[in-house]
Amino acid sequence: MAKKFEEKVSDLEKIISTLENGEVDLDESIKKYTEAMKLIKECDEELKNVEKNVNKLVAENGELEDFEVEN
Amino acid sequence: MNDKYLTVSAITRYLKSRFDNDSNLHTVFLKGEISNFKAHTTGHFYFSIKDQGSKINAIMFRTNASKINFKPADGTKVLVTGRISIYEATGNYQIYVDEMQEDGVGNLYIAFEKLKKQLAQEGLFDQSHKKQIPKIPKKVGIITASTGAAVRDIITTISRRFPVCETILFPTLVQGENAKDDIVRNIMKAKDYDLDVLIIGRGGGSIEDLWPFNEEIVARAIYECEIPTISAVGHEIDFTIADFVADLRAPTPTAAAELAVPNMIDLEKQMNQYAIRLNESIYKKINYQKLYLDSVKNSFVIKSPMIMFENKKQGLDLMSNKINELITKLISDKKNRLDNLKNNYVIKSPEILYQNKALILKNVIDKLELLNPLNILSRGYSITYKDDKALKSVKNLNKNDKINIKLKDGMIDASILKIKEDK
Repeated sequence: MAKKFEEKVSDLEKIISTLENGEVDLDESIKKYTEAMKLIKECDEELKNVEKNVNKLVAENGELEDFEVEN
Repeated sequence: MNDKYLTVSAITRYLKSRFDNDSNLHTVFLKGEISNFKAHTTGHFYFSIKDQGSKINAIMFRTNASKINFKPADGTKVLVTGRISIYEATGNYQIYVDEMQEDGVGNLYIAFEKLKKQLAQEGLFDQSHKKQIPKIPKKVGIITASTGAAVRDIITTISRRFPVCETILFPTLVQGENAKDDIVRNIMKAKDYDLDVLIIGRGGGSIEDLWPFNEEIVARAIYECEIPTISAVGHEIDFTIADFVADLRAPTPTAAAELAVPNMIDLEKQMNQYAIRLNESIYKKINYQKLYLDSVKNSFVIKSPMIMFENKKQGLDLMSNKINELITKLISDKKNRLDNLKNNYVIKSPEILYQNKALILKNVIDKLELLNPLNILSRGYSITYKDDKALKSVKNLNKNDKINIKLKDGMIDASILKIKEDK
């Protein structure tokens, strides 16, 4: 999710800069705009559906176990 | 008179007694660095102990020397206990060392500086080798003790800033003799957990406590680790070798967590910012196109196409006039030329030509007439031929040669009687 997330963010940045210096013609801009808005929606969703923070601990045998911090 | 002067030995003996009677000098605890160390064949050690400011001679007799648990050498920092007195023969004061042990902390600093210099030369600290810490990690690996403040700070900070990501803790010994191997082992293990970033660290402590993070094998393990690593060892001021080798150094575990993961709120703000900029730019684009379209719509031609047509028509008229003009001019030119030709004197009275020619002919005839040999003959001249060749001279002619003479109205055959050549 994060790797894709980071790529989505960088694609987003690229589209915005192309649109902002206006080199692209009208229908191309609209196509890019819709694509960008879709990206934003996806990124937002990923941020919104906050899974419970998953903390694992690597046990001796290499298996992952849940790990709670005692504060 | 001279009995008030003391001898050198006397004064030395006096000084020695002062030293020996001073209880402070009976058991002295001394800290410093060994220099010009010599182990005598008798087994006694002769050396001096120095610091930046001063130096003192030292001697350790074989019985004590054999009890020490390290190999003394120049530069080693040591802690000694002994008695200070004067060696009369040389007059020098010196410390008679009973016990000597390595000054742990001092040596650690030396070792630290040495390793740091060596690894720096090898290029392990080069900025160019350091990897970029990902802005939005999915999985964060943590190598530290499973109990204590460090792990708690790291995990709580990550959960607060970016709860979406997953953390994986590799419980590790961070102090004591086998800590360094445990750290290295966990760094190796971390490779197979598809981590985006790795935090390695521990809470504060003395140089001995932090020492595992100054070990060479730990430094090399961090250097070779493919995962971008953030080191967070000790507090603000402590810098360990691990900090120099890691891709990024954080002053504390909490700071390491803040460097490792973005803050959710910032991300959301960034997203909104992008949305705004997107809307602005697309609106500007569409607006620009709309204005452009309006200007085109109002343009003269679209508004009243007839005008364009009229222009065309006018253009056409112009052209047709032009063509007519050209044609009439052409015709009149041609006509004029024809008239000229008609009035041409020759056409008018062609006989001029032939008169002219006739005149020429007449001249030629007259000339011919003149040259006509027959005319000459008519005036009494004759042409004499010999063998059909007109004779011009009496030379090479002979008597009785046959000749014929052409007169105006006939031919005479004759033979030569006599030749008289003019003188």
